[in-house]
Amino acid sequence: MELLPPFELLRPTTVEQALAWRLENPNSRLLGGGTDLIVNLRRGIGEAPQALIDLNQIDEMTVIAGDGAALRIGASVKLAALAAHPLVRAHYPGLAQAAASVAAATQRNMATVGGNLCLDTRCIFYNQSEWWRASNDYCLKYGGSKCHVAPKSKVCYATFSGDLAPALLVLEGEVEIIGRGGRRTAPLAELYSRDGRDYLSLAREEFVCSVTARAAPGLRAAYDKIRVRRAIEFPLAGVAVALARDGDKLGALRVAVTGTNPWPVLLEETAALCGGGVDEALLQRFDALLKAQLMAMKTTFTSGHYRRRAATVLARRLVRRLFDGGYMGETR
Amino acid sequence: MSDAPAPSGAIGAYVPLLDGPEKVTGAAKYTADFLAPDALCGRILRSPSSHAEIVKLDVAAARRLPGVKAVVTGADCATPFGVLPIAMNEFPLARERVRYRGEPLAAVAALDEATAVRALGLIELELKALPAYYTADEARAPEATDLHAERPGNIERDVVYELGQVERGFAKAALVREASYRCAEVYQVQTETHAALADYDALRDRLAVHCTTQVPFYVHLMLARCLAMDKARIRVIKPHIGGGFGARTETLNVELICALLARAAGGKVRLVTSREETFITHRGRPEQAVTLKIGMAKDGRVLAVDCETVQRGGAYSGYGIVTILYAGSLLNAIYAIDNVRYHGTRVLTNTPPCGAMRGHGTVNVRFAFEALLDTMAAELGLDPFAVRRANLLRAPTRTANDLLVNSYGLPECLDRVEQASGWQARKRKLGQGRGLGMACSHYVSGASKPVHWTGEPHATVNLKLDFDGSIVLLTGAPEIGQGSSTVLAQIAAEVLGVALARIRVVAGDSELTPKDNGAYSSRVTVMVGNATVAAAENLKRRLAAAAARALDCAPEDIEIEGETFRASSQDQGLDFDEVVTAALKEAGTITVSGNYSTPPEAQGGKAYRGATVGSTVAFSYAAQVVEVSVDEETGQVTVEKVWVAHDCGKALNRLAVEGQVQGSVWMGMGQALSEETGYFQGLPLAANMLDYRVPTIAESPPIEVQIVESNDPLGPFGAKEAGEGSLAGFLPALANAVVDAIGLRVTELPLTPDRVLRALDRQRRAREREAARAARQKT
Amino acid sequence: MSKLLTLTLNGRERVDAVADNVLLLDYLREVVGLTGTKTCCDGGECGACTVLADDEPVLACLCLANACAGRRIETVEALGESGRLAPIQQGFHEKLGAQCGFCTPGLIMAAEGLLRRNPRPNEDEIRAALSSNICRCTGYVKIIEAVQWAAGLGAAEKPS
Repeated sequence: MELLPPFELLRPTTVEQALAWRLENPNSRLLGGGTDLIVNLRRGIGEAPQALIDLNQIDEMTVIAGDGAALRIGASVKLAALAAHPLVRAHYPGLAQAAASVAAATQRNMATVGGNLCLDTRCIFYNQSEWWRASNDYCLKYGGSKCHVAPKSKVCYATFSGDLAPALLVLEGEVEIIGRGGRRTAPLAELYSRDGRDYLSLAREEFVCSVTARAAPGLRAAYDKIRVRRAIEFPLAGVAVALARDGDKLGALRVAVTGTNPWPVLLEETAALCGGGVDEALLQRFDALLKAQLMAMKTTFTSGHYRRRAATVLARRLVRRLFDGGYMGETR
Repeated sequence: MSDAPAPSGAIGAYVPLLDGPEKVTGAAKYTADFLAPDALCGRILRSPSSHAEIVKLDVAAARRLPGVKAVVTGADCATPFGVLPIAMNEFPLARERVRYRGEPLAAVAALDEATAVRALGLIELELKALPAYYTADEARAPEATDLHAERPGNIERDVVYELGQVERGFAKAALVREASYRCAEVYQVQTETHAALADYDALRDRLAVHCTTQVPFYVHLMLARCLAMDKARIRVIKPHIGGGFGARTETLNVELICALLARAAGGKVRLVTSREETFITHRGRPEQAVTLKIGMAKDGRVLAVDCETVQRGGAYSGYGIVTILYAGSLLNAIYAIDNVRYHGTRVLTNTPPCGAMRGHGTVNVRFAFEALLDTMAAELGLDPFAVRRANLLRAPTRTANDLLVNSYGLPECLDRVEQASGWQARKRKLGQGRGLGMACSHYVSGASKPVHWTGEPHATVNLKLDFDGSIVLLTGAPEIGQGSSTVLAQIAAEVLGVALARIRVVAGDSELTPKDNGAYSSRVTVMVGNATVAAAENLKRRLAAAAARALDCAPEDIEIEGETFRASSQDQGLDFDEVVTAALKEAGTITVSGNYSTPPEAQGGKAYRGATVGSTVAFSYAAQVVEVSVDEETGQVTVEKVWVAHDCGKALNRLAVEGQVQGSVWMGMGQALSEETGYFQGLPLAANMLDYRVPTIAESPPIEVQIVESNDPLGPFGAKEAGEGSLAGFLPALANAVVDAIGLRVTELPLTPDRVLRALDRQRRAREREAARAARQKT
Repeated sequence: MSKLLTLTLNGRERVDAVADNVLLLDYLREVVGLTGTKTCCDGGECGACTVLADDEPVLACLCLANACAGRRIETVEALGESGRLAPIQQGFHEKLGAQCGFCTPGLIMAAEGLLRRNPRPNEDEIRAALSSNICRCTGYVKIIEAVQWAAGLGAAEKPS
């Protein structure tokens, strides 16, 4: 573990000020709860920043507002606050479950919504000390030219491991982004590129200010994850499912997965599964979709094949339970 | 709290630890807490390579950097160190060769950390790669390059022996089975990282070192050796220690490097290692393969055992020879087994050196043994408890390898956990996915022959009684959180009949306390406890004699009741203050000594080379039942509850015994469920507390402890060890419970979800093949 | 770059010149000299450095000292007064929640944070609140009893 590099700590109180400082300091990093960034800086990961811009003093970014139909969550809201919020618990149980499952209690008092959405991708060859990475000639994600997970690869497979993204993706999450041109909104899915190295599609100065979730009438949603220990760790796989019933048929289905790919995967072609009941034949088609779209790269201590398989099991179980109504019930 | 209104300190009570208050207020000082504004900051340059010749190591530029006060390299110490006098092959800083990634190459002391880090970056290093071996098999291949010239074939020690008549035993057996097991390498992860504060007084050529150790005496010896200093000029101080579990049972390079830096700088150096560096310093339990063959009679009696095992020892010898001997030796002394063949091989590899982790040597072999016992019991239609009961020892006895067993509470341990867990009513009845498993284990109460054999007593305790009536117990025995200082104070108070509050313990400062070998192999309670009994009895005699003089009677007529001394016929008597005043009249402040040496009959035999390893004054015994649930789709294993019974001879402090037993069982759970190191070409993949999975409170089960007291004749008040013996049993009990839950025998640890699924897949494929074969045969 | 940091530490207002890249943990230990808060892992993985910030447990190894400006920080040294242990400290002592004691300050602060917002937690709530903290000695059984003792919950009153 190295000392933190020297930097200036900037603490804006408005998004405008934050943006101005961001533009003035092109080599700055954004500080949310610090639960990932500070660890990485201590390990000498990434270029040493001139400045850290602390986004926790900006009032509008610390607010949760909305109703049972739509919810706006400031990017600096702490995960513990999100998980405990009555509105979230009542109408967005999948989101509350995801927030309450991140790391462990004390980390959640610090970690923010924006930080979890923009969580740096992770890899066993990357989340190591400077000595370690230097001894291994660094890697494609930072400082080197070779991917140790897939030596011939030109792209980085570092894995996205945030828990909130899948829970929000299935609720038609939309991010509000501050940048040179002011505010813009984009579907949450578009926040992510598909490369583990440059994993966000944001311009250099841009940052996420809030995220919005929508709960369509009749939608049932839930989140579940798997890890070896039941606290502290990142998910080996995390799955969010939102579905609606149309009588005894599956009316709508959205599925998102974290912990397998360099981005949170919003499963494609789920519409093809709708229109019938949930039986073993459907679940097998569902398995096939997951298997085709989820990766099984060895980016963690636990094998990639296990992570993909566990994601499939969780996804099946969630679909069954939500469809049968025996799980978290309806979101409204 | 205990039955008494205040901590009475009485033997057998629940006594909170004497140093508890400073631990809960943050006042307790650990090595890194000694802030020394005048100290230099030490940092270590570590090898980027697994195995290489050092072609060039140029520290000139680092030395020139302003603020750098010292740079040391392998050139500064040409004397190797090691815990075993016959296997010293490690240097504080590598010389000529590096043998594992992360091995220290050079170190700097600078005015501040930033300068120290910059200086490391200025060191020019050129290495010439040598072939590197990361598994025991690679290292023992015929063409492999030797890591150490004096260890041909990279074999640290090959142990082969046979006790009794093994083949005859197998021939008589109703059932013979052989199976292979594999345990991943694990690590202690004591919460305090390694650290040292070395203060070299250049004017007087004296050195004082605070460091994170379980063995200050060994550190003292190795400092003198590696710094070529007179032992009398060295002082080693053991402050509060944040756990050990065997990681600090030998001198580590950290304290040696810190001292080398301090001397080179002519001042004080503080060296606090990172968690990653502490992982790399290692000394954990080796990766180990065990192939075990057991021959069993119809009634479950074990007639013969053949055990072959290989340990991946890492790059240096350390305790390796002892570890591989323990693995064989402790096949005995738990059950009545006459015929044992053992072949243990300890291999040197290009990974960080392994050491003497809690349950030293026994754990992985016990896993294999208790798992195979269950498998064979099932084939013979015997209950797991019945098969253990068929093999009980009858104490007092000597084992086939000449180990002494005077007390043996295992039968009662079995009864207690069988009952507490509701075994007979619940076994095999918990439904698919849930199950019970059990196993037994044992451990030594101190190794009867210390590694540095000098002929001195095994333990010495001094008691100092002064004018104020306070009694200071001086011991070199390191309190490392296990509660040893409290237990020793309790023993002294009990013998003397004084209030516990009268006794203060000073532990582990070579300038003040008598030498002690250290806190390892669960030796303190028995050895230092017995020395404390002797010291307290000596003091009591002195007090009785003084009281007799004052009361004008014969010493044997003195009756002592608590802190009051009476002549037999007299009512009034003397209170403690008066006795002390009388006693000090002769020669002032009283210091008495008490010694303890293990009796020769407990020092093991000569059945084979190294047969003294495993010998002890008394063995502890434990049995446990583990209840699990298993998710067959995700492979997740959840431990629901543990019932454990531990025979500690006599619980001197029930609170501490419970805490030690719970901690042992739980550490076994970590190894069984989630913990493992791993390497990528010699780079540690889990040298942090995220990827190395020490269980959290979220998945840790209730652990119900039953204390069994077999009252060993040689233990102080009958006591034996409590802090290691119940660890090993958890691993097989868990594996056996998984069999009960889902019918799957897993032979590789840890039982992480991915391993469980792989094993299920293998089982499914095997069954399909079997079914296909059966179908083919029908047609 | 150093700034003047003003915060309330263990009930006292302090002003210190602190560089922006100094962690709260290093500020507490090396600048102020309060060494009760421990360094154990290389960042955010063990909970040994847990302190309270405005009554909420946080990890001092992941907080920048200067980001705590204006906040109320409490360390293990703040608990108890007039020579008496706070209930949570007494609980850890009496019930052997501390063996080697190195993780203890962090666990005590996490537990103190829990008891301030939930004076009578059930066992699941205790487990959840302490799930960021690794203890290597106890197996956690007696830690749970220590918190229950401090909360005055009956089950833990009998000897273990």
